[in-house]
Amino acid sequence: MGNFKTPDIAIIAGASLGLGAVLLSFLGNPVNSGICISCFMENLAGALQLQDDLRMSYLRPELVGFLLGSFFMAKKSRRFLVTGGSSPLIRFFLGFFIIVGCAVFIGCPIKLIQRLACGDLTAVAALFGLLFGVWLGAKYIRAGVVLDREKSMPTINGYIFPTIGVLLLLFIFLRPSFINQGQTGPAAQHAPVLISLAISLVVGALAQRSGLCITGGLRNFFLFRETTLLYGVLTFFISALLLSLLTGQFNLGINGQPASHMGHGWTFLAMTLVGLASVLIDGCPFRQLIKAGQGDVDAGITCFGMLTGAAIVITWLLRSTSAGPSFNGKIAVLTGLIFCFIVILTYRKVAKR
Amino acid sequence: MDLIQKLTISALLALTIVTAGMLIQNHIAVLNSPEATTDPQIDLQKIYEDKISKNTILYASVVDLLKQKQFSQADSKLQEIEASNPDNPQSLIYRAKLQYGLGESATAIHSYRLAIDSSPDYIDKKTPLFMGDEIMDVISETRSKLLREKKLKPGDTSIDIALEDIYYLQRRIAGGCE
Repeated sequence: MGNFKTPDIAIIAGASLGLGAVLLSFLGNPVNSGICISCFMENLAGALQLQDDLRMSYLRPELVGFLLGSFFMAKKSRRFLVTGGSSPLIRFFLGFFIIVGCAVFIGCPIKLIQRLACGDLTAVAALFGLLFGVWLGAKYIRAGVVLDREKSMPTINGYIFPTIGVLLLLFIFLRPSFINQGQTGPAAQHAPVLISLAISLVVGALAQRSGLCITGGLRNFFLFRETTLLYGVLTFFISALLLSLLTGQFNLGINGQPASHMGHGWTFLAMTLVGLASVLIDGCPFRQLIKAGQGDVDAGITCFGMLTGAAIVITWLLRSTSAGPSFNGKIAVLTGLIFCFIVILTYRKVAKR
Repeated sequence: MDLIQKLTISALLALTIVTAGMLIQNHIAVLNSPEATTDPQIDLQKIYEDKISKNTILYASVVDLLKQKQFSQADSKLQEIEASNPDNPQSLIYRAKLQYGLGESATAIHSYRLAIDSSPDYIDKKTPLFMGDEIMDVISETRSKLLREKKLKPGDTSIDIALEDIYYLQRRIAGGCE
């Protein structure tokens, strides 16, 4: 690993993410959803009985793998830095609203790329929404909007999230009675546990080393014309596209795409929310999980916000279905955007002083 | 190491040992319990088998009448069953088959949509109730028919509504995390 430069690692991480996502779909994960942090969070919320839709209740080993892969890599490369204390509640709610946006589109930025790579043209509106959200976020950063600086924290804070990862890993294998596992629907669609775990550990470790992030790659390009992470994102798309073609998962079109809907305007707005909020907290949902593994306490709090959002989107019916976005979901997206703009206004004033 | 540290570490060790012991004891008890020996997958299969056998008996006459293309009698019988079993989504499946048999493809598609919304098991490959392929055959035939009709009657909104039902069913049958 030491022989590789950062752009090389970003490209390797992107390739592993693309190949891993399509391979996991091929091996049993839901179609076009080999890796989706928001869907997996909804599954986790169900497994922990935070929401009661049994068809969406399964403790996905991939989440544990990303977290622990990142932790081990950070420890090995001496990049395990325990920091936190930067606007924790703001981050919690931005994490919450990111999952709301993902639920209205039906997928996180990673799934967005996978859906595009598998030929789902309904994801084009989401791509434009994400690009617009990140572009807007970059403009605000340039205008002086930034959450307050994180501080160094006592080491134990950094170990809490990896410990939760270990605990969830034990739950996967010991299957205690309080962990729900659906036998039908998306919960029953999963790749073999050990394969999921192995792929996600590798992807998590490489993502930690490279800093791979979908929104981060776009943000860096918009802000500084810096392309290191963007190459990783492009490699992710290309490798997923090639493997989906090879494995027969490619299905170009608008109609008949799995877990999609035709509410393109709301898809655009929902992913604008995801892009904007992700720029404000410095990373997409996947990146938040990776950062939580490397000792970033703020990212850990964001992950708790994401988990809360994942439970709420199901119990409050915010999540879109194949029939389209729900009224509750639309209101939640608008509320999320209002929240983002209030945060932007407030923090810009702080920066001016 | 001062006294406070020694006492705290001792308490920590004691608590850890007691907690671990309790967890192990409980886990062994759960493993030996009768519930642990039953596989939820097998339980679920049994529930489906019961459901299928009950439905086979309940709808036997409807199936026979549909096979004989006696649609009016099948309709009466189905209405009787629907009145006595209003929550059984299987009625919607037979209603769809009846409508399709009568040539009312668009209404049949809508009945399939209602059935799937009521019980997603009909499009879940992991359940024995799965009939996604059968519905897809009806969809393919109806879609081409409706697209032809749309060219002839471009202003007919009922065709657009029927096509929306078709596209919805296609998305649901395609799978994904819904």
